[in-house]
Amino acid sequence: MATDKVTLGDALSNVDVLDEFTLPDEQPCIEAQPCSVVYQANFDTNFEDRNGFVTGIAKYIEEATVHASLNELLEEGLKHAVMLYTWRCCSRAIPQPKSNEQPNRVEIYEKTVEVLAPEVNKLLNFMYFQRKAIERFSGEVKRLCHHEKRKDFVSEAYLLTLGKFINMFAVLDELKNMKSSVKNDYSTYRRAAQFLKVMSDSQTLQESQNLSMFLATQNKIRDTVKENLEKIPGYEELLADVVNICVHMFETKMYLTPNEKHMLVKVMGFGLFLMDSELCNINKLDQKKKLKLDRIDRIFKNLEVVPLFGDMQIAPFNYIKRSKHFDASKWPLSSSSNNISPQADLMVHLPQIREDHVKYISELARYSNEVTTTYKECGSDAENRETAELALRGLQLLSQWTSVVTELYSWKLLHPTDHHMNKECPQEAEEYERATRYNYTDEEKFALIEVIAMIKGLQVLMARMETVFIDAIRRNIYAELQDFVQLALREPLRKAIKNKKDLIRSIIVSVRETCADWHFGVEPLGDPALKGKKDPDNGFGIKVPRRNVGPSSTQLYMVRTMLESLIADKSGGKRTLRKDIDGQYLVQIDQFHKTSFYWSYLLNFSESLQDCCDLSQLWYREFYLEMTMGRKIQKCQVRHQHNEECSDLITMEKRIQFPIEMSMPWILTDHILRSKEPSMMEYVLYPLDLYNDSALYALTIFRKQFLYDEVEAEVNLCFDQFVYKLSEQIFAHYKQLAASILLDKRFRVECVALGAYLLPYPRANRYETLLKQRHVQLLGRSIDLNKLITQRINADMQKSLDLAISKFESGDITGVVELEGLLQVNRLTHKLLSKWLALDEYDAMFREANHNVLAPYGRITLHVFWELNYDFLPNYCYNAATNRFVKCRGLQFVQAVHRDKPPQMSHHYLWGSKQLNLAYSTQYGQYSGFVGPQHFRTMCKLLGYQGIAVVMEELLKIVKSLIQGSLHQFTKTLMEAMPKVCKLPRYDYGSPGVLGYYHAQLNDIVQYPDAKTELFHNFREFGNTILFCLLMEQALSQEEVCDLLHAAPFQNILPRPYCKEGEKPETKQKRLEAKYAALQIVPNVDNLGTAKQAMIAREGDLLTRERLCCGLSIFEVVLSRLRSFLDDPIWVGPPPVNGVMNVDECTEFHRLWSALQFVYCIPVGETEFTVEELFGEGLHWAGCAMIVLLGQQRRFEALDFCYHILRVQRVDGKDENVKGIHLKRMVDRIRRFQVLNSQIFAVLNKYLKSGDSDATSVEHVRCFPPPIHPSLAHAQQQHYHTPEYLRQMNHQ
Amino acid sequence: MAAVHREAIQKQIQQDWANREYIEVITGSIKKITDFLNSFDMSCRSRIAVLNEKLTILERRIEYLEACVTKGETLT
Repeated sequence: MATDKVTLGDALSNVDVLDEFTLPDEQPCIEAQPCSVVYQANFDTNFEDRNGFVTGIAKYIEEATVHASLNELLEEGLKHAVMLYTWRCCSRAIPQPKSNEQPNRVEIYEKTVEVLAPEVNKLLNFMYFQRKAIERFSGEVKRLCHHEKRKDFVSEAYLLTLGKFINMFAVLDELKNMKSSVKNDYSTYRRAAQFLKVMSDSQTLQESQNLSMFLATQNKIRDTVKENLEKIPGYEELLADVVNICVHMFETKMYLTPNEKHMLVKVMGFGLFLMDSELCNINKLDQKKKLKLDRIDRIFKNLEVVPLFGDMQIAPFNYIKRSKHFDASKWPLSSSSNNISPQADLMVHLPQIREDHVKYISELARYSNEVTTTYKECGSDAENRETAELALRGLQLLSQWTSVVTELYSWKLLHPTDHHMNKECPQEAEEYERATRYNYTDEEKFALIEVIAMIKGLQVLMARMETVFIDAIRRNIYAELQDFVQLALREPLRKAIKNKKDLIRSIIVSVRETCADWHFGVEPLGDPALKGKKDPDNGFGIKVPRRNVGPSSTQLYMVRTMLESLIADKSGGKRTLRKDIDGQYLVQIDQFHKTSFYWSYLLNFSESLQDCCDLSQLWYREFYLEMTMGRKIQKCQVRHQHNEECSDLITMEKRIQFPIEMSMPWILTDHILRSKEPSMMEYVLYPLDLYNDSALYALTIFRKQFLYDEVEAEVNLCFDQFVYKLSEQIFAHYKQLAASILLDKRFRVECVALGAYLLPYPRANRYETLLKQRHVQLLGRSIDLNKLITQRINADMQKSLDLAISKFESGDITGVVELEGLLQVNRLTHKLLSKWLALDEYDAMFREANHNVLAPYGRITLHVFWELNYDFLPNYCYNAATNRFVKCRGLQFVQAVHRDKPPQMSHHYLWGSKQLNLAYSTQYGQYSGFVGPQHFRTMCKLLGYQGIAVVMEELLKIVKSLIQGSLHQFTKTLMEAMPKVCKLPRYDYGSPGVLGYYHAQLNDIVQYPDAKTELFHNFREFGNTILFCLLMEQALSQEEVCDLLHAAPFQNILPRPYCKEGEKPETKQKRLEAKYAALQIVPNVDNLGTAKQAMIAREGDLLTRERLCCGLSIFEVVLSRLRSFLDDPIWVGPPPVNGVMNVDECTEFHRLWSALQFVYCIPVGETEFTVEELFGEGLHWAGCAMIVLLGQQRRFEALDFCYHILRVQRVDGKDENVKGIHLKRMVDRIRRFQVLNSQIFAVLNKYLKSGDSDATSVEHVRCFPPPIHPSLAHAQQQHYHTPEYLRQMNHQ
Repeated sequence: MAAVHREAIQKQIQQDWANREYIEVITGSIKKITDFLNSFDMSCRSRIAVLNEKLTILERRIEYLEACVTKGETLT
C-alpha cells in the first residue's frame, strides 16, 4: 500500500468517479441541510502574505499590516463580548458566611477565591483589553487626523475597520452595563479576597480597585472613547467619513450578511453620538453637507431596532437622542412615534419574499437540471459569469430574508406585549413570555415559519450546488480580474505613460504586477502600450489565460485599494487623480471596484452561505435570563379587594432556563402542530433546525459547554413532545378518515339536510411526507422519525382496540354491533396507516387486545357468554313476529347485573372526533334496545367457530343443570298436585262446563304460587337457550353461504351461463371454465406447488365443499344433546296400562305442560303482566321442545286441556264468566298459543327429522295389528310398544 | 537589472497563481469527497432504516408466534 504511488491525475479521476455512484435516498427533503461531515477551506491569511506583493505600493502594504493587527483586536473583542454575554451568575450559588463567628467561614472564603479567581482573571483581561483597544483606536484616529494625513485618501477598507471598532465598543459597553451578575460576582470575590488578604501588594490592590470601578461605572467604555477622541483635533471629520461610508454601503447594499448590515446601522448611531460633543455639533456638520442626517433618519426609521448581541437589542436612534445637540426637528421620521417601523410587520415583506423565492428557485432548478444533464469541463466565460451572479443573488436573497426574520424578532423583543394588547396574554405573564410567546399573532407565526422554511430550503439547494457554483465563481473571478488587469488597464496605462502621469502609471503598473498572471510568465514583450504608443492596426494580441482559482485575500485587497486610490474623489486639498483619467476608464475601474467587492464573499461561498442563513440567535436569551435572575413574579391570586399588602410576590425559583413554551423554535413548531395546518405540515422540521443553528453557535462561536447542554436538554424535551403530539394527531387523523369513509353516506346527507353539524371528511394533510422521514438530523444525531411514529402508533392502535373491547365489556350484549363497527374502523385505520408505517399485523394486534394469544377464548367470547348467562337468558323475552329479543320490563327474577364502568378515553381512540362519536353513537343507539338478527350475525363473526362452540357447550351445561335441577324438582312437586286422571269432558257440558271442570281439576296447579314465576322463569331460560342456538345457527349459515359464494370461483363452481336458443350449455360452460382456469386453486397448486402444498390445497378445498354438501347442523346436535338430558322417568311416567297410550292418566310431561298452558291461558287483569310480557316465547319454546324431544307431541296436541276447551267453544260459541275467568278471552289466548305451538313444533321437527327421513317415514305410518283375543294376548304382549320406546330403540 | 528583477517577480506571481490553483483543485476534490460521504451517509441511513424496520417486523412477528405456540410456557 505505502509503496503504491498514485498520480494526481489518477487521484482526481478517482474523485470524479465518485459522482457515478447512485446513492438513492428515498425520502423527500423537508429539513435543513443535513450533513454529517462539514468541510470548509479557509484561505483568509489576514494579510500574512502581504510581503509577497513587493510590487504593490508600499503605503498599502503598510496599511495591510495595520489591518492585520486591528483584525486581531476585533477578534479578541468578540471573545470578550462572548465572555460577558455568556456570563452566568456564580455568586448566587456560593454560600455566604452568615456571621463573623461562623467556624467554616475561612474555608468558604478560600473556596470562593479558588472558584472565582479564573473568572476574575477574565474580567481583568477584559479591562486591559478595552484599555488597549481604546488606545489603539485613538492612536489610529490621531494618525489619520494629522492635518497632513488628512489630505490623503483613506481607503474604504480602513474606514470600515474603524467602523467595526466603533461597533465593538458599543457592544462591549452595553454588555458590561447589562451584566449585573459580573459585578456581583466580582464583589463576592473581592470580599473573600480582602478577608483572606490575598491581594497584599499595593499594585494588586490598586488593580482590584480599578477593576471594581471599571465594572461599577456605567458607560465606562463609551465615555472613555469619547473622552479620548475629543482630545484629537479634527476627529469628527474622520468619524463623519466613517459614518458616511456606512450610509453609502448601507444604501448601495454593499454588505452580505445580516450582521454586517446591522453593524453599519449601529456604527451610524454610535458614530454620531461620539461626534456630537462640546466641540462639534452634528447638526452643523449636516448643514455643511459633511453629513446627511435626513438619509440616516430614514435608515433609522426603517430599522428601528437592531440586534446588538445575542438577544440584546438596541435602538440606534437612542444614541442620537442622548447626544448633546439632539434636535428632534432634524429627525422627523425617527422621532415621531406615529408610524410603526416596517421591520415590525412581517406581512408587508411576505409577498415580495414569496415572489423572489419562487423566481429564484425556478431559475436555480433550471440551472441545476442543465448542470446535471450535460457534462462540461468548464463553461464559457459568459456562462461562468451568469452562474457566479446566480450564486451571489442567492446569497443576497438568503441574507435579506434572514435579516427580515432577525429584525422582526429584535423589534418584538424590544416591544413586548401585555394583557391589554393581547387578550391571550395573562396579566402575570413573565417578561420573556411577553416578548416571545404572546408577542406574535398566528399569522405572523405562520409567516415566520414560511420564511424560515424558505431560507433553510434554499440553503439546502444551494449547498448541493456548491461545487458547481464555486467552480464557476473561481473561473469567473479569475477571468474578470485577468481581463481587467491585462486588457482593460492597458489603455489608461498607455495614456498615463504618454502624458507622463507618473503617479497613475506607477499605481497601474503596481496593480498589474501584483496580480497579473501572464500567459508566458512575464509581461508580453514589446507591448506598445508600455511605451505610450498606440497598437498597430492589426492589434496587439494578448492571450489571457484561464484558471480555476481566485485571487488571494491580500491580493484582492491590494488591487482594490490601489484602484480605489485612482478613482477616489476625495483627498484633502490635493487634486485628485480622477482628473487625469478619461471618463470611460474611470467608469470601468469604478465598475470593477464595485463588482469585486463581493468577490471575497463568493470565494468563501460555503462560509458565506452559512452566515447568511444563521438564525441561531432566535434561541439565545442570556439577556432575559440575566434580567429575571431566575425570579418569577407572582401577582396576588386571591379573589379580594387588592391592597398594599398583596404586593407582588417575588419567588426565587431555582431555574436557570425558561420553559420551552417561551422558546421561539418550539413556539413555531408547536404552532404548526396545534393548528394542524396542512400547508405548513411539511415545514415542521425547519423550526426545529433552529436548534441546530444555536447548538452550532454554542460550539463554534460561544464555545460554551453549558449552553450546548441547555440546547440539547431543550431539544430532548421538545423532540419528545413533537413526536408525541405528531403521532397522536396522525393517528387521530387516520382514525377520522377511516370513520368518515365508513360512515353511512345517506346518514351524512340527511345530517346535512337537517343542518346537524357533522364535519366533512378530514382535510387531506401532508403527514405522508413526514412519515417518510427516516433520517432527520438534529444536533448531530440521526433520527428515524418513521420508526418513532410507528412505535407510538402501534401502541395507539393497540390501545384503541383494547378500549373498543373494554367498552363492549362495560355494556350489555347489544353492544356487540357497535363493537363490530369499532373493530371495522380500526381495521381500516390500520390499513390506511400501513401504507406508510410498518405496523404489526391487524389480526395479531386484535388477538392481543382480545387476550386471545395465550388463552383459547378471548375477552369478547367470555363477555358474550357472561352476558348471555347473567343478562340475556334470564331477562330477555323473544317475539317471533319481530324475530327479536327485548328486555323484560316486568318482574326481574335475577339481581341486576353489575358491570365495570366504561373506561374514559379521548375521542381519537373511539371514532376519531367528537362529532363522529356522536354520529356513530346515535346510529348504534338504534341497536341497543333489542337483540335481533344483526346482533347474532355480528356475534357469529366475532366469536368464530371456536367461540360459538364453547359458548353453546357452556349454555348446554347450564340447561342440563336447569333440567336436572330445578325443573326436575318442580315437575316432581307439580306432578303430585296433578289429578291422577283427567278426562276430556263431553261436548254436552258446553264450553263453560268444560272450563269449569278443568279449573276444578287443576285448581292446585293454578293456585301453586311458584308456577307463574320461578317455574316459568326457568322454562324461559331454557327456551331462550334453544332460541339462541337456533338463531346463531341461522346467522352462521348466512355467513357460510357468503364464504362459499366467495370461494366458488376458486373451486371451479361457476353460475350456469345464460344460453340462447341453439347454444349448447356444455360448451359455454367449458369456455367459462377455461376462462377462469387461472383462478382455480387446486389444479394450479397441483401444477406449480410442491406435493405438500397440493395436499393442503386439496384438503382445504374439501373442507370448504363439505360444509355445503352434507348440511351439518349445530341445532340438530343441540337438540339431541338436550334429549339426552331428559333421561329421568319422571318425564315419561310409567308405561301405559293399556299398552298403547295414556289417554286420561296424568303421568307424562305433556300433561303437566297442558296444565301449565291452562294456567298461562287464563286471562289476567289489566294491571297484571301477561306471560308474554314477562317471559316471551322462550317459555313456549322450552315446553314444546321438551314435548317434542320426549315424543309426546301428538298426544299433547290431541289431549291438551286448553285445545279441548277451544274445540268445544268453537262449536257452542258461548261466552261466560266461569269462576272469574272470561271464557271468550281465554279461548282467544288459547288459539294464539295453539298457533305458536304448532309453529314451534314445525321448526323443531324440521331439524329433528332432517337427518333420518327414513326412520320418520316408518315411524309415522305405524301399523297397529288388529286386536287379539285376550287368550293370545300373553304371548304377544311384547310386540306392543308406545312410539317413544320404539324411537329410543331406533336411536340406539 | 531592474527588468530582470521584475521578470522574476512576475514569474513568481504566476507560480503563485499556479500553486493556488493546484490547492484549489485539491480542496475542490476534498469537497467532492465530503459531499460523496454525506450523500453516502444519507443513503445508507435510509437503507439501514428500511432494513431495521424489516427486522423489527420479523422480530415482533416471531415474538407473537412464539406466544401463540407456547400457550403460557416459554420456549426456553
